[in-house]
Amino acid sequence: MDRRFKVRLEARFGEQLTGPIRQRHDETEMRIGPGDVVAILTALHDEPELGFEFLSDLAGVDTGKVMQVVYHLWSETTTDWLRVVADGLSRDDPRAPSVTFLWKGAEWMEREAYDMFGITFEGNRDLRRIYMPPDYQSFPLRKDFYLADDAARSPGGGVRPMERSHVPSNAPSKALVRQIPT
Amino acid sequence: MTTTSAPSDDPRIELDRDLGVFEPVPPYPPRTEREAEFYTLGDGQMFINVGPQHPSTHGVLRVVLKIDGEKVVDLDPVLGYLHRGVEKLCENADYHQAICYTDPLEYVSSLFTEWSPVIAFEKLMDVQVPRRAEYIRVLSSELNRIASHALFLGWMALDLGGLTPILWSFIERDEIVDMLAALTGQRMLFNYFRIGGVNGDLNHEFMSRLGDWMSRAAEQIEAGNGLLNENEIFVRRMRGLGTIDAKTALRMVMTGPNLRASGVPFDVRRAHPYSVFPELEFDIPTRSEGDCLARYLLRMDEIKQSLRIIDQCLHQMPDGPVMAKLPRLMRPRPGRAYAAIEGPRGQLSTYAISDGTDQPFRMRIHDPSFIHLQSVGLMMPGHLIADTMAVMASLDPIMGGVDK
Amino acid sequence: MALTDDAAATANVGTGPDDATGMSSDVSAQPALPATRPGDAVVSPIVVPNTLWQAADPEAYDGGRPTDITHLREFDASGLGRRDDARWGGALDVIPTKADYVLDLIRMNSLWPLLSGLACCAIEMMSTATSKNDMDRWGMFPFRASPRQADVLIVAGTLTTKMAGPLVRLWEQMPEPKWCVAMGDCTCSGGRYKRSYSTVEGIDRVMPVDVYVPGCPPRPEGLIYGMMKLQQLVKDRRGHWPERAIGPTVPQEV
Repeated sequence: MDRRFKVRLEARFGEQLTGPIRQRHDETEMRIGPGDVVAILTALHDEPELGFEFLSDLAGVDTGKVMQVVYHLWSETTTDWLRVVADGLSRDDPRAPSVTFLWKGAEWMEREAYDMFGITFEGNRDLRRIYMPPDYQSFPLRKDFYLADDAARSPGGGVRPMERSHVPSNAPSKALVRQIPT
Repeated sequence: MTTTSAPSDDPRIELDRDLGVFEPVPPYPPRTEREAEFYTLGDGQMFINVGPQHPSTHGVLRVVLKIDGEKVVDLDPVLGYLHRGVEKLCENADYHQAICYTDPLEYVSSLFTEWSPVIAFEKLMDVQVPRRAEYIRVLSSELNRIASHALFLGWMALDLGGLTPILWSFIERDEIVDMLAALTGQRMLFNYFRIGGVNGDLNHEFMSRLGDWMSRAAEQIEAGNGLLNENEIFVRRMRGLGTIDAKTALRMVMTGPNLRASGVPFDVRRAHPYSVFPELEFDIPTRSEGDCLARYLLRMDEIKQSLRIIDQCLHQMPDGPVMAKLPRLMRPRPGRAYAAIEGPRGQLSTYAISDGTDQPFRMRIHDPSFIHLQSVGLMMPGHLIADTMAVMASLDPIMGGVDK
Repeated sequence: MALTDDAAATANVGTGPDDATGMSSDVSAQPALPATRPGDAVVSPIVVPNTLWQAADPEAYDGGRPTDITHLREFDASGLGRRDDARWGGALDVIPTKADYVLDLIRMNSLWPLLSGLACCAIEMMSTATSKNDMDRWGMFPFRASPRQADVLIVAGTLTTKMAGPLVRLWEQMPEPKWCVAMGDCTCSGGRYKRSYSTVEGIDRVMPVDVYVPGCPPRPEGLIYGMMKLQQLVKDRRGHWPERAIGPTVPQEV
């Protein structure tokens, strides 16, 4: 947990952050809006005292209310992983700028985020489906896409007899046990 | 003949009309710039579809090659033939079950694919792993790394046409994997790492097999190397093929041996140490040529470093429990965690989000083979069709990880 | 004689239905032999009614309607696959002789698999084919790359919906006699990916399977046992491929 790094980030990007910088274990997380992604990631990549030249992961997240694009970066200047969360993409038409101009290797990661969530990355030259067949209509990792037998959220909440018979005695409340209409 | 009959009218001739012709070009207008650029043919060019089933044994990868004569002008990998929806399944499973789903991602090195989500979940739950468990993890995973690199050697040679090295590699792999079966119970998808430790302690069978193998390991590996390192066909085919320089490799977000063969000494075990790697002494082999031969030789160097690590683990193995005390039903507080490890193909990382229930809210798995396949398109233009296989083999992709 | 200029002699050559050169070379004066003996019907498969569980959503798992993700059904209905143009096939089925038995021995001892390793089970298949557990002992060494040259399709690994098309195409391209081995849990029933949105729950939804080898992945010894069972099947001609249907076709005595 690199506290001086947090101070440096807040000094550099203070007004563009949409939330406090949080640190846990060896990760530092900053939240920004999708419009600032290009500027901030370019600054993180190019400035020598930040030096985040290594994009470790690019993920899409569907929180149920909003969508996010999460970048994980590594630099020699700090011992922490930096997580940049581009927050606040709408769930109906999520759009985010593409970072393929910085890292060409992000192209397929953005294609995967598009395929799984429907997030359109503006500037990606090759935004087509990568895992699902090209005529697939849904976006599988969205929270409103349910698996065919989306049953067992917890013990006792399943449809199979094996899943229903075992409700542990310390199960806190009925809230976790899904009431299946019979 | 006074009448000419078209071939399709003759009832004795059956055309493939009913089955449909498998065109490499997609049957819809191009939707992206890259698709338009790729699927328009220049003068004298044609498409060849190296289909999902082909003898190059990386799994089900389909590559559409645009060739001009024998030279490859461009290529477009088509993925998804092994997409099993692991991330979605993990969202509907417990934390323990989620780890089981990650085994078959990189199926030849499944201890690594288990390790990275295990570290992420341990961070979410603030669990301290006992030191003996950490040492066992390092020991078993370095064995798995050697097995994986031995397989790489075999496949590399098989794709170039050599049938002997793969038999030798599989002897090597069978020995290691039987050792790991004595330890974990399974030959392949080990399901050994648990949140908070490992499933079981070292046993006598494993230690005796390990000792026996270690005494022979160095010579066996040298013999395997000797088959290929000085083989003129092998070296001449691979030298100078598929060169990537350091800047391009970083731009393509490559990791692991592919990056180190291009001159960038980045290894997650040293760059962002995890587990007990700070206490172990090993080098990071790096080569600067960046061609297929460098990637091959680098992996052979890594086998030697792995043997060194295994030796140190055996000497420094502490006593103690192999599993932390944890509740049966794991319900971490809401939060996010990211964990990256150095697998045999590159950096494997997991980004886990917990929402307070007993199932992960999002489990994002980042696989190195997925990233490396993007660079095949950069390396291929100008080379021959047969070199496509060599280049892909040298990047060592495993389609389970690519397609998740 | 072709050398004569006689226009009348060559007038009818190559034209019209009477022309002898228009008939196929294996048509004889006798009527075509039936492809199978009358009593040779395949026993009906063992059907285990599903009383164990039911999905909450009636549309789950196809809602119980027959699968239609392949056109093999239409192919079978059109009868194109039943045409027994091959000389040996037709004759042998009617006259079981020692030649039959020898041919079955030949087939069973040199079953050539098709390289159809999809996922993790492929590694165990390769392990079975290499030195320590050598499948070459039973003749199965050459893993043919081309389906036209293969006898057995060992489907090793998860079948996804995207791959189902190419796999069925591979199966259809294999010339008969051909057999199919479902190796691994994912091909037997969907395995650990049974709930996934993009996997086919068992390859017997798309192609007829002769031998199921369970395991995740099955040990090489397990696959060898499965292949030996297949050899037994070939020898006893119980995998009688012309009447094969999609779905479990295991006869009762097995």
